[in-house]
Amino acid sequence: MSALQATLLLIEDNRELSGLLVQTLTASGYVVDTATTASQAAEALGKRRYSAAVLDLGLPDRDGLSLLRDMRKQSDPTPVLVLTARGGVQDRIKGLRGGADDYLAKPFETEELIARLEALLRRQGNLVERVVRCGRVAFDSESRQVTFGGRSMVLPPRESTLLEILMRHIGRVVPKRQVEDQLFGVVQPVGSNAVEVYVHRLRKLLADAGAGLEIHTVRGVGYLLGETK
Amino acid sequence: MWWSPSILTRLMWLNGLALCAVALLMPLALYSLLGSAADDLHHRALKETASEIAHYLSPGSDGGLLFDLPDEMRELYSHSYGRYAYAILDRSGRVLFTSEANNAAISPGDKLQPTPAYFQLPWDSRILFGGSFPEQVQDQRVWIQVAEDLNHRDVVIDDIVADFFQRVGWITLPFMAVLLVVNAAIFLYALKPVLNLSKIARTIRPTQLDFRLPTDRLPREIAPLVTAMNNALNRLEQGFNNQREFVADVAHELRTPLAILRTRVDGLSDGELANQLRRDVSRVSRIVDQLLVIAELEAFTVSPNETADLQRICSEVVTSLAPLAIAKGKSIALTGETTPVRIRGDSDALFQAISNLVSNAIRHTPEGTTVEVGIDPRAIVKVVDRGPGIPKSERENIFRRFWRRDRRSEESTGLGLTIVARIVEAHAATISVGDADGGGAVFSIKFPSLGDFAADSVKGRDPPKRPTPALS
Repeated sequence: MSALQATLLLIEDNRELSGLLVQTLTASGYVVDTATTASQAAEALGKRRYSAAVLDLGLPDRDGLSLLRDMRKQSDPTPVLVLTARGGVQDRIKGLRGGADDYLAKPFETEELIARLEALLRRQGNLVERVVRCGRVAFDSESRQVTFGGRSMVLPPRESTLLEILMRHIGRVVPKRQVEDQLFGVVQPVGSNAVEVYVHRLRKLLADAGAGLEIHTVRGVGYLLGETK
Repeated sequence: MWWSPSILTRLMWLNGLALCAVALLMPLALYSLLGSAADDLHHRALKETASEIAHYLSPGSDGGLLFDLPDEMRELYSHSYGRYAYAILDRSGRVLFTSEANNAAISPGDKLQPTPAYFQLPWDSRILFGGSFPEQVQDQRVWIQVAEDLNHRDVVIDDIVADFFQRVGWITLPFMAVLLVVNAAIFLYALKPVLNLSKIARTIRPTQLDFRLPTDRLPREIAPLVTAMNNALNRLEQGFNNQREFVADVAHELRTPLAILRTRVDGLSDGELANQLRRDVSRVSRIVDQLLVIAELEAFTVSPNETADLQRICSEVVTSLAPLAIAKGKSIALTGETTPVRIRGDSDALFQAISNLVSNAIRHTPEGTTVEVGIDPRAIVKVVDRGPGIPKSERENIFRRFWRRDRRSEESTGLGLTIVARIVEAHAATISVGDADGGGAVFSIKFPSLGDFAADSVKGRDPPKRPTPALS
C-alpha cells in the first residue's frame, strides 16, 4: 500500500513510549520523525509535509490542543491522530472540535493505532486513489472495472456504485440514506426497498464470484461490507 | 395557620389576630374615655353653675340668707325653659330657695355630704342629671343642688357618647381591614429578598457546583446565612475540583505507563504468555478507563437547556458497534421511531450509556442472533439481547460497582452498568431490566419528556435519587 512511503510525525513527550512507538511504526513501514515538545513539533511541521501526525495532548511546554488549533489556523492540512491520557468524554469532543481527525485514548493496542493511521491515510487519499482493494476484489473507480481474483468484469452502474461505496468504507457501517443519495440522487424519491434490491443483486454477484466479501445489513441503519470468515 | 412553617403565613395570622383585638378594644376604650370625659364636663358645668348661684347668696339682716337672682338668670332656670333647675338647702335639709314649684328640693333624698355628690333622677318623663355642692356663705353652710335635663336638644355631648358605636366606633373596622392589607403588602415587601433567595435556591441541583446565591442588597438578618451557604458551596466546589484534578492526574500517571506496557506486550511474538499479558493489560486498562469515567461522572450534570436526539444517538451507537457485533458473528438492528426524539440531555453521556448497554448485549447474545436497539417516541430506549437474561434475584445488584455475575469473567469490569446508572440518574431517567419475549434481557431507559422537565424545574424540590431499578 501507499502507506509504505508514508512519513509520520510522532509528537510524544514520554521518551520511552515514543521509542517503542517508533519501533512499532517503523516495523509497519512508516518513516517516523519524533518531537517531544510542541515547539519542536511546530518546527518540524514547518520544515516538511508529513502524511500524518500522531499528537499527544499532554506536552510539557504547551497543550497539544493549542498546537493543533494553530496548525488548523495556518491551514496545515496534515491529518492528525490525537493520543491522550485524559480520555474523558469532554476531552474527546474538545479534540475533535479542535481539528483532530481521529482520537485514541491511552493505552491503546498497537494494532488499533496502525489501523486508525491507515484509515486516516486512506481517507486522505480518497480522491486520488483510483483502485480500491478489499480481500480478493479490486475496484477501478475510473474504468468502473471490478476484478475478482484476477477475473475482470464490468458491473451494471448502480451495482458498481454500491460496491465502490461499500469498499471505500469496508468494516464500517454506511448509512442507508447515504447509499440512497449516491445511487439515486438526492432529488429522486425512491421506494423504501429500492436500495435493498441492489444490495441483494450485489450480494449474489459477490457470492457467485467467490469474492470473499459479504454485505451485512444493519437493520434500521445501513450496510457493512466485511470479509467472509 | 399561625403555626404554619411559613414566616409569611405566621405573620399574617398573628397580625390579623392582633388587629382584630385592636378593632374590638379600641372602640370600647374610646367609648369609656369619651363617657368619662362627658361626665367630667357635666360635673364641671354643674359645679360652675352652683358657684354662680352661690354668688347671688348674701347674709340677710335677720341672720338668714338673701337670694338675689337677676331676671335673665331666673329665666334660664324657669320651668318653661325646662333645661336647668336649682334648689338651695340649709344644713337641716330645709329648702331655702328653689326654681321648682311647691318649694321642692331637686333631690329630696340628698345626704348633704361635705363633698359634691351627683345624682340622676326622673323628671317629668325625662332624665335629670344633677349635683349637690356644699357652699359657705359667711358663717352659714348651704347645699346648692343644680340639675340639667339631659334630653334637652342643646345637650349634644351625651348623644355623641350614646351614638358612639353607631356613628364613630365602626370606623376602626375598615381602618383595621385596610391596615391588614397594608401590613400584608409590607410583610411581602420586607420578605421579598428572602422569597427571591428561596426561589433561586430551589433551582440548585446537587451537582451544580458553580452556583452561588446573590448577596447584594440582602437584609442584614439573612446575609450571614447566605454567606455561610455560599462559603459551603465554595468549599464543595473546591473539593470537587481537587478531586477532578486528582482524577485527571491519576489518569495521566496510570495511562502513560499502561500505554508503554501495552506497546511492549504488543511487540512480543504471539504465544500463550503474550496473549495472556495482552488480556491482562486490556483488563486493567478498561478498569482504569471506567473508574475515570465514573469519577468524571460524579460531578456531571445536564445543563437545563441542553437537548439531545435519542434517535440519532441510538443510530450512532449502532453504527459504531455494528462492526464489533458482526466480527463476533452476531447482528445488530435499530428499530422503532425513525424521526428525532428530543429529550433534555447530554448527547455524549447518553452515547456512552447506550453504548455500554449495547456492548453488554453484544457480549451476552449468542452467535447468529441479533441485538435490537428500539426507540419509542415516548422517550424510551430499549436494548434487547437473546442471551440468558438476568435472573430476578440479581436485577437489583447489577448496577452496583464492580458487581459481576460471573466472577471469573475477564471481559467484564463490573463498572459498565454503574456508569449507565449514573448517567441515567443525571438525566432524571429510570432504568429497568426485564425478560425479552422469547428469552434474553431487555434494558429500558425511560427519559422524562421535554415538557415534564419544564414542569419539574419549576417544582424541582427533591434532588434526584440514586436509581433503583424498577423491576418488571
